[in-house]
Amino acid sequence: MAEAHAHAHGHDHGAHAHHPTGWRRWAYSTNHKDIGTMYIVLAFVASLVGVAFSMMLRAELAYPGMQLIHDQQFYNVLVTAHGLIMVFFVVMPSLIGGFGNWFVPLMIGTPDMAFPRMNNISFWLTLVGLCLVATSTLVGTGAGTGWTVYPPLSNAVFHPGMAVDFAILSLHVAGAASILGAINFITTIFNMRAPGMTFHRMPLFVWAILVTAFLLLLALPVLAGALTMLLTDRNFGTSFFAPQGGGDPIFWQHLFWFFGHPEVYIMIIPAFGIISQVVSTFSKKPVFGYLGMAYAMVAIGFIGFVVWAHHMFTVGFNVETRAYFVIAHFHYVLSVAAVFAIFTGMYYWLPKMCGRMYDERLGQWQFWITFVGVNVLFFPQHFLGLAGMPRRIADYPDAYAGWNLVSSVGAAITLVGTLLFIYLLYRTLTAGERAPANPWGEGATTLEWTVESPAPFHTHEILPNITTQPAE
Amino acid sequence: MTNRARNIRITAAASVAVVVGMTGLVAVSEPLYRLFCKVTGYGGTPRMAEKASGATGEAMFTVRFDANVARGLSWGFRAAEPQMSVRVGEETLAYYEAKNTSDLPLVGTATFNVQPDRAAPYFNKIQCFCFTEQVLAPGETVRMPVTFFVDPEITKDVHARDIGTITLSYTFFKSDDQSKARVAQSEFKPESKTYSN
Ligand code: HEM
Ligand SMILES: [Cu+2]
Repeated sequence: MAEAHAHAHGHDHGAHAHHPTGWRRWAYSTNHKDIGTMYIVLAFVASLVGVAFSMMLRAELAYPGMQLIHDQQFYNVLVTAHGLIMVFFVVMPSLIGGFGNWFVPLMIGTPDMAFPRMNNISFWLTLVGLCLVATSTLVGTGAGTGWTVYPPLSNAVFHPGMAVDFAILSLHVAGAASILGAINFITTIFNMRAPGMTFHRMPLFVWAILVTAFLLLLALPVLAGALTMLLTDRNFGTSFFAPQGGGDPIFWQHLFWFFGHPEVYIMIIPAFGIISQVVSTFSKKPVFGYLGMAYAMVAIGFIGFVVWAHHMFTVGFNVETRAYFVIAHFHYVLSVAAVFAIFTGMYYWLPKMCGRMYDERLGQWQFWITFVGVNVLFFPQHFLGLAGMPRRIADYPDAYAGWNLVSSVGAAITLVGTLLFIYLLYRTLTAGERAPANPWGEGATTLEWTVESPAPFHTHEILPNITTQPAE
Repeated sequence: MTNRARNIRITAAASVAVVVGMTGLVAVSEPLYRLFCKVTGYGGTPRMAEKASGATGEAMFTVRFDANVARGLSWGFRAAEPQMSVRVGEETLAYYEAKNTSDLPLVGTATFNVQPDRAAPYFNKIQCFCFTEQVLAPGETVRMPVTFFVDPEITKDVHARDIGTITLSYTFFKSDDQSKARVAQSEFKPESKTYSN
């Protein structure tokens, strides 16, 4: 693809020199790369909070009894905030808002997203959402409902204060932001591809974002609707989910999982996309079975919706069965798979985003420490689950003591790995070697490697023509 | 308008239509869900069955009956017997009793829950008083039957077959809609009755 690009960045920037500088550059940004960067920074900040909360939880759980956290409601508040922050303000903004904004336009060969101003609004709404969820932990006794916000626990009887309302509003706002973002991605990918960039030549990461955007479009309105009903139940006397008014808490669970199921795929499909890109770059061949992978992602997205039905007919909600097993299981999916994909994306694209190379040896250390850490952290939780340890408890019978300590030691190792990553980022930004346009060699065939590093403010202003490329 | 600009509008409009469509679906989901529950008798029950299949097994379970009243409803509510020993697959009848201890007619609604969760899918109810409104006049007592059986399939589930005790727990809430209480007040009859559906 090397000969296909080129002229995209060679032109005179004079005509575009009017773009704002200083704080205005960021506040009013309509530039997909700046917005992508802001999403990554937001996710980074949120992850500090989310990880800090999880470390407090693991520290409490290291030994039976109550040491650090002296009341169960506060424990629940931390669990809830950790879950919400990790899902809505770390994994989604980094994979979709961050890498998606940065690389979808670069990869399909277009100067920017279809609706740059809307893109700006999406970002700021996401930030408002993050502030609202942070607020919810601080008002009254906080929202101790779990990230699934199940009534009756989330209703006004059990959580009379404003905390749950803040949490609900937070999800509303973050959801609206994601819907706008999804419309933007779909419109961009459908209409703004460079000449010759057919669907079947589109990089797998772009496919992944496209499928994810569709899932968001279908799933988030359902969450928003359900949250609205919960909000009116709490504040305006309706009883959609309140049994004393003829409502049914189980109805919430159906609505929630109509969203929750695809949500798992929303977090994992972009991760697939990144891994596919990296594998094809370093194996120097397009992902074996490119089309197979593309359609697999479409199929997974589709199935993500269909299997919602299994919740519909197995109520009694077995999800809670062998409770800690569930914790182990979804952390393997979310924390090990999605977060490792985020690290992978950072390593892969950091040279393009900041124009500097990271230290490979530090990177290897970071990988292995974190890898050992998360496995020591989450694997023993399977045993705890099988032994019957429930979720969302700050104290537990002595029988569960051993593996809980192991798990908490794993959390500490993971923390070391995470801190090392922060150090690596710092080193890269301040002292990294200058990166060439394409540091990864012949395997890196996608268009982002055809522009210089760091990618200039404007790229692909003259559309790259890739009609000469054979379809992969 | 260029071709591309037009296509962009069409795609964006179609995306917005999807969002509107899904929102519409949620908006009507509540009546649809109610209809679904009415038709299938589902309404949050782990399982509703017509009758037990007839197949019984060797395994015995202790079924505990738990009764709770939420704040705001002045009723006494208890199980006629605190627990029973039942054979798997066998149709069993149990009674709960509620008494209005206030001097006003009151409407209550019950929800229930089966513990442990992993037993819930096997706990089949043939008849129960959940989710239907109960109107009790002052001092009135009502006996409410629950017919249930434990599905013999439970013995094949490695995660559930070791459960010795299943707890069926009911909670009565004061209904938000008390209009039926006012009707009841006008036709107050003090004798005790047995509720059946
Ligand atoms: C640093 C690594 C992490 C640690 C040490 C950690 C630890 C924990 C702990 C201790 C709990 C509470 C378990 C309980 O008592 O019920 C929890 C729950 C949860 N975590 Fe994590 N976690 C980590 C990373 C993540 C990531 C990356 C995600 C990404 C989405 C995530 C999502 C969740 C969710 C959704 C819950 C459930 C919240 C709820 O029950 O409502 N976690 N985590
Ligand atoms: Cu599921």
